[in-house]
Amino acid sequence: MLPRIINLILGLWLMAAPAVLGYGGAARGNDRIAGPLAVSCAIIAAWEITRALRILNAVVAIWLLIAPWLLAFSGIEILNSTLVGFLLLGCALVRGYVRHSFGGGWRSLWEPGLRGSSTNDQ
Amino acid sequence: MRDGSIPPGWSYNPSRCSERLILVLLALAGFGIALYLSLYQLAVFSTVWEPFFGAGSQNVLHSQLMRALPIPDSALGALGYLIEAVLGWAGGNERWRVQPWLVIFYGLTVASLAFVSIVLVIFQSAFLNAWCTLCLASAAISINLVGPVMDEVLASLQHLKREFTRGDFLWRAFWGLKPNVAANH
Repeated sequence: MLPRIINLILGLWLMAAPAVLGYGGAARGNDRIAGPLAVSCAIIAAWEITRALRILNAVVAIWLLIAPWLLAFSGIEILNSTLVGFLLLGCALVRGYVRHSFGGGWRSLWEPGLRGSSTNDQ
Repeated sequence: MRDGSIPPGWSYNPSRCSERLILVLLALAGFGIALYLSLYQLAVFSTVWEPFFGAGSQNVLHSQLMRALPIPDSALGALGYLIEAVLGWAGGNERWRVQPWLVIFYGLTVASLAFVSIVLVIFQSAFLNAWCTLCLASAAISINLVGPVMDEVLASLQHLKREFTRGDFLWRAFWGLKPNVAANH
């Protein structure tokens, strides 16, 4: 749960950062798109059944790491985007604890054959 | 809880009524918020409650995208929440197996409402540079519903796959038309 909470806060920070740190232009637009995406993925991935969506936040994070160089950020914008990108990536890669079992999960839908009669599958 | 209500290989029943009740209450809260916002957009109320962002709510709710359709977007949202509440409420403890169609329509409704919410939040934050507290609250509710609803959807899809693999017609299983399922009750 902790990695999802951290990513939720990072997403909220991205939404607030342009006003707090006082920057505009491409960096502001970029962070205000990436922020809501990070928040949404973090909320959905907080649930065990949709934990896989944490990977989308890894994609957002990688974008935050390369965006400063593609969109010509400057100074504090580069620092913020890079720092948030690394933290977001780190947390997104942590799968976390899964307590419940789901009859083979989403994977079971495209695996061949019958499954779900045994109780020991993840 | 009877054994048959838990899907094979699961540690709990995703259709249990205690969990669904919370989701119905959340959807009703979303309905209330969206209804209030649509009444403001229809000029029934002259002001809108906005504790944090000053004129933000007005700017968002009077923006062109929000008024692109003949009816306000929040009225569509209210309708969506109402459908979610009804679909969340309907059916019994084993509806993942007895009424797969209901569960799958429910999942599709929740997923599409959440998707639209994310798009609208990005629109107001990146393109309007304005925030609307109640719109964000409504979006938070619809995004929050995705996780707890998808477990039921997965149980239904697994059930359909099992029935299909056993040689049943997918169409009949989807509508819960399997006679021996009814006989088991």
